Amino acid sequence: MGAPETTNYMIAGYAVFVVIFSIFIASLAMRWNRLKKDQQTLQELEKENE
Amino acid sequence: MNKKPTVLLILDIVSIILLGVAAYLALSYAPMEATMGNVQRVFYFHVANAWVGLLGFLAAGVAGIAYLRTGKQKWDIIEVAAVEISLVFFLIAIVLGSIWARPIWNTWWTWEPRLTTAAITELIYLAYFMLRGGIEDPNRRARFSAVYTLVGSVSVPITFMAIRLFRTIHPVVIGTASAQAQGGFNMSSDMKVAFFFSLFSFTVIFIDLFWHRIRLGNLQAKVEELKLNVME
Repeated sequence: MGAPETTNYMIAGYAVFVVIFSIFIASLAMRWNRLKKDQQTLQELEKENE
Repeated sequence: MNKKPTVLLILDIVSIILLGVAAYLALSYAPMEATMGNVQRVFYFHVANAWVGLLGFLAAGVAGIAYLRTGKQKWDIIEVAAVEISLVFFLIAIVLGSIWARPIWNTWWTWEPRLTTAAITELIYLAYFMLRGGIEDPNRRARFSAVYTLVGSVSVPITFMAIRLFRTIHPVVIGTASAQAQGGFNMSSDMKVAFFFSLFSFTVIFIDLFWHRIRLGNLQAKVEELKLNVME
């Protein structure tokens, strides 16, 4: 008797990994870029105030 | 401070390569398990994600102790970084486990000791962010969070030991499983290579992401400080 056909579950598992992992990486990058922009704006405002 | 360190850049590249090799070993190099078929290949990433998830929750507890001892903000930043990354890795581990369980246990989910303790651990650290969101004063927030992670870290050894202490259907790959375990298997030498390489790779990936998340926390703190300066 051969092994059961469970390839679809394997594909689903690795697809879930790729999706969740990618969302997290994208979230890190987006938050970093947003904070960098905020930092730049605030530094300019700080200079204007001086 | 904002410029990416060269070591971190190297670590990024190494992490990408390790992830690729780990995927190759899990999906192609390791032989197909005879009784479960290809779904068993999920196990390599499932265990590796669970490992780094629990490691990060423990690291958060250690950072919590360090904050309570020193009161330094950097420990609060490290603690948040550890919890956030571990939540993601542990969620992946739980979902992968559920996908594996469907053809092997004939159910997506069952309230047996390992799955229950894992779900509770994930919820404990999800609630951590709700706690932080509810406290405005930064020092108070950091102090409460530190105590919370310290208490929460008790769930880590309980989750880890659940399959070794209780009667459970969850298999134990290293060590002795309970008689009720379903879906266990003996690892061949090629399977061991894929398994231990995945553990190693995800540990490196965890360190890489941890560093990135700490840098994000530091930048966030700096922006908050700038906001206060501008408002004065």
